[in-house]
Amino acid sequence: MANAINAFLPEIGTIIKVIDETPTIKSLQVVLDDQGRMRSFRFEPGQVAQLSIFGAGEATFVINSPPTRVEYLQFSVMKAGEVTERIHQCKEGDLVGVRGPLGNWFPYEDMKGKDIYFIGGGIGMAPLRTLLLFMLDNRKDYGAITLLYGARSPQDLCYQEELKEWEARDDMELILTVDREFPAWDKRVGLVPNVLKELAPSPKGKIAITCGPPIMIRFTLQALAELGYKDEQVITTLERRMKCGIGLCGRCNIGTRYVCVDGPVFSLAQLKKLPPEL
Amino acid sequence: MVSLKVLFLAEEKIPVLLKRLSKTSQVFAPVQVSDTVVVFQEFSNGAQVVFDKQASMPPKGVIFPQTEQFLSYTYAKDPENLTRSTVQLDHQVEAKPTLLFGARPCDVQGLAVFDAVFTQGQWQDPSVKARTDATTIVTLLCVKPEGTCFCTSVGGSPTATEGADLALTPVSGGYVAEAITEKGKTMLQDEAFTPAKDKQVKEAERVRAAVKKQDTLPLKQIEQKLIKLFSTEFWEQMSAPCISCGACTYVCPACYCFNITDEPAGMGGERIRTWDSCMFYQYTLEASGHNPRPTKAERYRNRIGHKFSYHPTNYKGQFGCSGCGRCIKACPVSLDIRQVLREATTHG
Amino acid sequence: MDHVARSVKEQAVAVLANIKEAITRELEGLAFVIGWEEGYDPLHAAPFFVRSLADIERLIWNPLCVHNLTSYLPKLKGRKVGIICKGCDSRSIVQLLQEGLIKREELVIIGIPCRGVVDMARIKARVDCSQITDVSFTEKAIAIKTPDGRQEIPLDEVLATKCLSCQYPTPLVYDHLAGAAFSAQRPAAALYAEVEEIEKLDLKERLAHWEKELDRCIRCYACRNACPLCVCQDQCAAESRNPHWFSQRTGVNEKVMWQIMHALHLAGRCTDCGECERACPMDIPIQRIRRKLNKEIKELFEYEAGINPEDTPPLYTFKVEEPTIKEKEW
Repeated sequence: MANAINAFLPEIGTIIKVIDETPTIKSLQVVLDDQGRMRSFRFEPGQVAQLSIFGAGEATFVINSPPTRVEYLQFSVMKAGEVTERIHQCKEGDLVGVRGPLGNWFPYEDMKGKDIYFIGGGIGMAPLRTLLLFMLDNRKDYGAITLLYGARSPQDLCYQEELKEWEARDDMELILTVDREFPAWDKRVGLVPNVLKELAPSPKGKIAITCGPPIMIRFTLQALAELGYKDEQVITTLERRMKCGIGLCGRCNIGTRYVCVDGPVFSLAQLKKLPPEL
Repeated sequence: MVSLKVLFLAEEKIPVLLKRLSKTSQVFAPVQVSDTVVVFQEFSNGAQVVFDKQASMPPKGVIFPQTEQFLSYTYAKDPENLTRSTVQLDHQVEAKPTLLFGARPCDVQGLAVFDAVFTQGQWQDPSVKARTDATTIVTLLCVKPEGTCFCTSVGGSPTATEGADLALTPVSGGYVAEAITEKGKTMLQDEAFTPAKDKQVKEAERVRAAVKKQDTLPLKQIEQKLIKLFSTEFWEQMSAPCISCGACTYVCPACYCFNITDEPAGMGGERIRTWDSCMFYQYTLEASGHNPRPTKAERYRNRIGHKFSYHPTNYKGQFGCSGCGRCIKACPVSLDIRQVLREATTHG
Repeated sequence: MDHVARSVKEQAVAVLANIKEAITRELEGLAFVIGWEEGYDPLHAAPFFVRSLADIERLIWNPLCVHNLTSYLPKLKGRKVGIICKGCDSRSIVQLLQEGLIKREELVIIGIPCRGVVDMARIKARVDCSQITDVSFTEKAIAIKTPDGRQEIPLDEVLATKCLSCQYPTPLVYDHLAGAAFSAQRPAAALYAEVEEIEKLDLKERLAHWEKELDRCIRCYACRNACPLCVCQDQCAAESRNPHWFSQRTGVNEKVMWQIMHALHLAGRCTDCGECERACPMDIPIQRIRRKLNKEIKELFEYEAGINPEDTPPLYTFKVEEPTIKEKEW
């Protein structure tokens, strides 16, 4: 649990590995300096943490490694602003602050026995990876698993090594796409929502889980509705500018709900009860 | 009002009383700081305390300072391996005994919002909680509400005493003082408080009963009405004069949004909390450049929605507004929240 | 149409009638016209967006119309709008045109030759404004009624400083002029009286003065957002995190620094409309800082902002030979 005495205080962690995923995305593997805390760190797939670079600030990232593999905590970070630029300058051995786990998580209990259809775009693959690995580690609990993952270009696809592993597995299906033609790219071409419509997976017995840039989420939700998916079958994770991460500073609200506490995981049924502020 | 004990406090005894209490508490009182401006400030000898005028700023800074340090950090090079650093974090939750003297009922109602958000929920703010616990509140009842006041429309009243420890009612020559809590009763032991004469007690009752009624806003079912009223056109019209500054939010007793930033200084620095405003463009601006509320229409809709719908829904009907009217007076374009609420209830 | 013979009241009525008539003719081609209507009490006007013919009746014109409505224009670029402006406001329009921040063809300007608007802080210092029941204007005074009685105050004692030294009462640019034009009636020298008082202090005293005034600043940025020339308010350097120029701390140092920064960004561009000070919810007399820089710019470049749309602000350009800067002789 986050610091019980003062939820604003981060714990110190050390970066043990930096992975260059794409030109704009790096993954950091972090181990908390307090070994006892690291051993007893518990979280659910989909929960986030606030990563601190002291002097630059904090930013929210999904805990990208699954709770079934807790040798370290992984965070995938896209370079975008003050904090993420400084994170990208970090090397192994550098210190960071970690506040977490925060937020809610994927309702994986309710997904047991169902077919799971992941739809990811760009850095949106980060939270999906957590749940996918968790499900693969508990494979018999779930039905067919499919991952549709797209990015702007082949080099913007994250987790390139794992993508190869997932493609080779016979207990899940992997469909990759990029926004337009590229030399040496022999797989699908097209925006993720359009590819989804082409593939037209049947909604029967399925849960669709999507994450990506706001505009991709919007069109993917539209496409899923067109394909006949009911609101309860569709799950997404949202992003907002966050500061406190614990529902106090006010800024990440959508109506009565705070994305940092009542999210970032929302079902479409929940979102439809809230003001349309994607 | 349920009172434990009733005494009288003469006007001329107040500066001496505050000076005496400053020895053991941080005393905040409304002080004249310029020709036209009164703010709650730490009382110092010679300060001109003013009780017959609404302070320009509410006293929320007493439990929620505009700048507050969450932690300080210091990097040091590891002497065994100069390519590595260590970082030391220091933090303190400091709450000195505090006396808030002269808060109006609307100010105290605003503090109740802080209480609900910061000290009662799943996640709590330790410094707001510590300061709230360490603060004694002496409330000054209103006998002359201003033209911009509307506390009675949002569940308050010029003579409300909830949340206060001691209540003062203005009478000739001073105030009738009534204890609301045990803390207030203890305060009354100070020599500045003398037995109240019968006619003073009666004057206080008369004065409270005679407080002129304010206009009532039609806020029944406003929570649901605002959820339905998401039309951009309506909010574009309501927010057209708005200039997206933060005046209304900073002068509001019930506004609590904040920012957290790191302020480096060499090998160390601090992480601070500062007030923030939902009216600023940058409030929800994401690093990617995406902004879920890019125009003032959306931001204004969210402000009204939060105060009169989302917050009451989450907090058992408590409005995020105490009807003090400061936002109307402070707004550079005199946007009147009462008019917006009236339009919202009749629209559609 | 002798402006001296008609009473102030008659003139105001005529001006308002002219405004309404002009808007009635022009409204169809415009998204809206920005003027003033009655505010939340008789002492306050408020900006008002006329969108239909029925709205026109709500317009008012009197010395309470203090707002510089041109502040809305930069964000409205791309739309055709109408705007009512006083002489001082028109200087903001000229400055915005100089900088290419608005397009002349997108505006229908209804200009009003103006004798002055009030400074609310000056009124608040003399009248308990918590309950205003009526406000009216006589030839040279403002009469304010409250439950405590009626007070008549000579207008000159509560007019804004810029009005007491106004050199441009008649708008410099307009499509319709709602009243008879007249030339400057006030002494120009009066403008810098307050600045000169502060210049008499030594540097230490000056800093102490501003620290005292800015202590009550709440860093709400009303001054910045009310300024017609602060078009980068949404990306303001004072809040920028990348690069990180400024601490968000609200100590007096940061607040003094913010005012200096704002004034410097306006140097050579500020038209002395006073919106910054008017907007301040804590009644801090910050216009003096900008006016001081305007004074410096005037002395250094013999230049005043917002007079001629063809001008280039001096800090936007350079001349190889500056008429007033004799580097080689210094």
